[in-house]
Amino acid sequence: MLSRSIKLGPKCKVEHCVQRDSCKSRENYSTTVKWNQVLRWSWESQLPLECTQHFVRMRSGAADAQIPEPRFWGDWTSWEEVAVQSSLGHHPLSVFPKDKLVEEGSNVTVCYVSRSHHNNISCYLEGIQIHGEQLDPNVCVFHLNNVPFIRDTGTNMYCKMDPGGVIKGIVLFVSKVFEEPKDFSCETRDLKTLSCTWDPGKDTGLLTQLSPSYTLFESFSGKKVICTHKSWCDWQAAPDSQEMYNFTLTAGNDLRKRSVHLLFNLTHRVHPMAPFNVLFKNVSPTNAAMTWRVHSIGNYSTLLCQVELYGEGKVIQKQNVSVVANGELLVRNLEPYTEYVAQVRCAHASHFWRWSEWTRDNFTTAEAAPSEAPDVWREVKSVQGHRVVTLFWKPLSKLQAKGKILFYNVVLENLDGPSTMKLLSIPAPANCTELALDHHSYQIHVTANNSVGTSPAAVITLSRDPGNKDVEEARVKGTKDGFSLSWKPQPRDVTGYIVEWCEHPRDPRCDLQWKSLGPNTTSTVVSSDAFRPGVRYNFRIYGISTERIPYLLEKKTGYSQELAPSDSPQVHIGNLTASSFTLSWKGWPAEPQPGFLRGYSLYLKSKAVQCLPGSEKAVLPDGSVCCKYKIDNPKQKTFVVQNLQPASFYEFFLTPYTSAGEGPLGTFTKVTTQDEYSRILIRILVPMILCILLLTILCYLKSQWMKEKCYPDIPDPYKSSVLSLIKSKENPRLTIMNVKDCVPDAIEVINKREGARKSLIETEPTKPTYLHLLPTEKSYPGPGPCICFENFTYNQAASESCGPVPGPPKEQPSQLGLLTSSENVLKALGKTYVNSLGEIPAGETNLNYVSQLASPLCGDKSSLPTNPPEPALCSEYKMQMAIPMGLASPPSITPLDEGEHYH
Amino acid sequence: MRAQLMQRTLLSLVLGLLFLSTPAMGSCLDKYQELLGQLQKQADFMQHTSMLLDPYIRIQGLDKDGLKEYCQERPGTFPSKDALQQLSRQGFLHVINTTLGQVLHRLRTLLKDIPKAQDLEKLNMMKLHIRGFKNNIHCMAQLLPGSVEKTEPTPAGPAASPSPTPIPDAFQRRLEGCRFLHGYHRFMHSVGQVFREWGQSPSRSRRHSPRRGLRKGAHRTHLSRRNKRLKPRGWLPR
Repeated sequence: MLSRSIKLGPKCKVEHCVQRDSCKSRENYSTTVKWNQVLRWSWESQLPLECTQHFVRMRSGAADAQIPEPRFWGDWTSWEEVAVQSSLGHHPLSVFPKDKLVEEGSNVTVCYVSRSHHNNISCYLEGIQIHGEQLDPNVCVFHLNNVPFIRDTGTNMYCKMDPGGVIKGIVLFVSKVFEEPKDFSCETRDLKTLSCTWDPGKDTGLLTQLSPSYTLFESFSGKKVICTHKSWCDWQAAPDSQEMYNFTLTAGNDLRKRSVHLLFNLTHRVHPMAPFNVLFKNVSPTNAAMTWRVHSIGNYSTLLCQVELYGEGKVIQKQNVSVVANGELLVRNLEPYTEYVAQVRCAHASHFWRWSEWTRDNFTTAEAAPSEAPDVWREVKSVQGHRVVTLFWKPLSKLQAKGKILFYNVVLENLDGPSTMKLLSIPAPANCTELALDHHSYQIHVTANNSVGTSPAAVITLSRDPGNKDVEEARVKGTKDGFSLSWKPQPRDVTGYIVEWCEHPRDPRCDLQWKSLGPNTTSTVVSSDAFRPGVRYNFRIYGISTERIPYLLEKKTGYSQELAPSDSPQVHIGNLTASSFTLSWKGWPAEPQPGFLRGYSLYLKSKAVQCLPGSEKAVLPDGSVCCKYKIDNPKQKTFVVQNLQPASFYEFFLTPYTSAGEGPLGTFTKVTTQDEYSRILIRILVPMILCILLLTILCYLKSQWMKEKCYPDIPDPYKSSVLSLIKSKENPRLTIMNVKDCVPDAIEVINKREGARKSLIETEPTKPTYLHLLPTEKSYPGPGPCICFENFTYNQAASESCGPVPGPPKEQPSQLGLLTSSENVLKALGKTYVNSLGEIPAGETNLNYVSQLASPLCGDKSSLPTNPPEPALCSEYKMQMAIPMGLASPPSITPLDEGEHYH
Repeated sequence: MRAQLMQRTLLSLVLGLLFLSTPAMGSCLDKYQELLGQLQKQADFMQHTSMLLDPYIRIQGLDKDGLKEYCQERPGTFPSKDALQQLSRQGFLHVINTTLGQVLHRLRTLLKDIPKAQDLEKLNMMKLHIRGFKNNIHCMAQLLPGSVEKTEPTPAGPAASPSPTPIPDAFQRRLEGCRFLHGYHRFMHSVGQVFREWGQSPSRSRRHSPRRGLRKGAHRTHLSRRNKRLKPRGWLPR
């Protein structure tokens, strides 16, 4: 910016050149001057002065209108240099202009000045490289056109020098366009103070110190006010001296100024204050007097006030009233005992400008006597020979009650006996009472009472006859909107109809409801929020005679929405045959169900591909296919499944269904039909078994006889008669030989090859081997040594393994020769057995002679002291001793054959 | 969502630390370990650039690739970690107190260039954190045995402080501010590390060769030989 103080004539022309030979701009400046006056004229160069040298010269001329054209100019002054660059210092790089404030959309010229043109300098605007115009080797100019608003803190433009890493930049403070104030308006509430408001428009986004200022100027008075708020300003009016006002609102910041004007008459801009002190007087059931006060506006100003009356949230009355100071209005046609809200607002009556704010208050009208009789119904029960009558009534509506109902009066009049009346007073809000009555006819009067009076009486008559005639129950189809009921018109006179039902039929308390209908009505729709799907509702329709006696006309039952059954019956199987079985579910209750039961579905699974007659294929939810029987009779409780295959496996499931569908599928029950031949077999087998049993018993009873016949006893040689005969005739020493008396002289050992387990028949005849036993020292007097074994016993376990041919272990003759007595022999045999078992190869010997005393148990192999021989080789000799059952296997005594004797 | 949770957690941590910092309420916590733990946590929290530097860069429009590299700490603005480690405990606390006093003053200057109230609110929070930290430093100095010179608690209001060297234009002010805040976060990181090297007891001296530290920064560091006190401008080498 250049600023010069010069002496000029009336009109000046200034020429500004960046260089002497290239003038960039030429501007005119006109002013009225006095002689010898010093003028100050500032202008701003688009190119910052720091960027390069600037030159300026000027000339002046007269611009008086009295002087005709052409006008004459004076001579140019000499060029004057503006050299700011010299004051920049010695910074290697500088960017200009510094911290410039511009408006959004402006054009800005920026330059950098470097001290050395050998450096590589790149410049960026908000991180994006920009390219400029090289003014000279050290100066580059950038023309930034239409600069945008980016952020409140300004736009960064910077240049970097390489090498050296020097960075210099500027912040361009870009302001949003400063808008003109909108909706400038002034008004007064008391003709003393003017309040002017306006919308300042959107924020310029400038720093706080650059925020705009607002000034209010009134041209008639010449007064000016600097506003301290950005959207409103107060002005002290002078109603007595000034009626017209011409305001100018000037808003401005460092970049721009905006002005708006407003001309008005003060009395035309009156915005009254809200009325106050709203009161309601003389409030009756239907009328109320409303009063209020208004703030005075000047002298004798008339206000127009508007009154609105709200009842139950709606405007029910609206009236206008002219008011000077106090307002008053009589509100009519109100409902008794009703709360109302009244509100009032006012405006200047002569020159409407704006309504005041509302002032509101509420009031309640007084009570009146109830206008309608309560709706009454009864429920009659017989308890222990008495009638228990429950009397119900519905609370009166607000319009009918016309006040707060305090109590109900019930008057009982016996129609059969002497004219007696009984009064019961039941406090509100009770809606029923229970009466124990005899079987006389009674007329009951019910009235509702508030603090003002009594309602008309509702009358109902209880006759002696209970009137519960048998009426067939009809089904009715309900919808979500309710039940549509209709009935036949009655030939005799009726005063009306009553439809009653229980709202909660599953609840013991029932919650009796009724609907009163006129005498000309023969249909109605009963709806209730309490109706639930799947619940059966029973409706009774009564006619009310002229004597006010109700009599039952029709019964209806139905569901608001039928549902599918929730469970399935427990089915029992009976009469199971080869081709059929019977299903029974007699114990299952068909009521209550969530819909009218229409029948049952029986699902039968079998291996058969085709369904039996009477059934059809059905696909279950799990995708399996089965046969389905339809039982259309809901009362049917048994079903015979026929034409089945004998001895076949079936699965079945029975479920009820309503119009809404079938019950849930549960577990299938399994059943197998009987075999066709089983009965025949039973008829044959049972007698046969009986016969065999009989025969067995018979044999047992005759066992002694059988034994004698089939297995006679072996004769005892001691008791033989032959023995006595020999004793008497021959040697008296001759007797039965004992084994103790025998001295063995030879033992026959039978060698067998492998596979000695062959049977005797299969075994080849073996050549016996004899062991010659030396005679003992004691010579026998008899005819020579002999060996006699009496009653050999073989261990069964050994014999099983060893085969049927027992034999002694193979012994060397030399060893045996050392033995001198039978005891020694036995001892040696027993000892050698143990020792030799391990030595004798398996299969070489098939008979082992075992001493009873030293013998280990064959079955107890683990207890063998040495390696036990192969079980096939094991055979034992046992002396005549009792063998404990636990130590030996069950004995299997095998009789010795001829060739297998020990000698 | 996660960022909000993080911010809330950090905020609650800071508030907790501030409330735990009894000196702010007029009395000091006399448990050395507890106070040391608070100082460590506060230093850890204040070293996060998200608390001060990052919002400053964003608000001033310096978050551009060509500019970020110039937002580096100017050497000598803040004491280096080595220099801090070579100080006695009392000297260390004194340097922190003095340096943070400068930071508070500089923050006030920097915040003048930020117009929006919501941005100011964030950065003003950091001033509270620094005051809380300084108060804890004061309390720690009282716990140290044989302290000749105690640090003074930070007053709640603005303190008179020598104004920094005037920078002529807004752009240079921004860059300098950015560098300063970068150095501040680095300084707090170093402070946290030094606090972690402190022992279990306030009586144990942790000083490592203070003479070497003096020699190392002798040409630029003006330390009182008695108190090893650093001058406010932080001329310690990095």
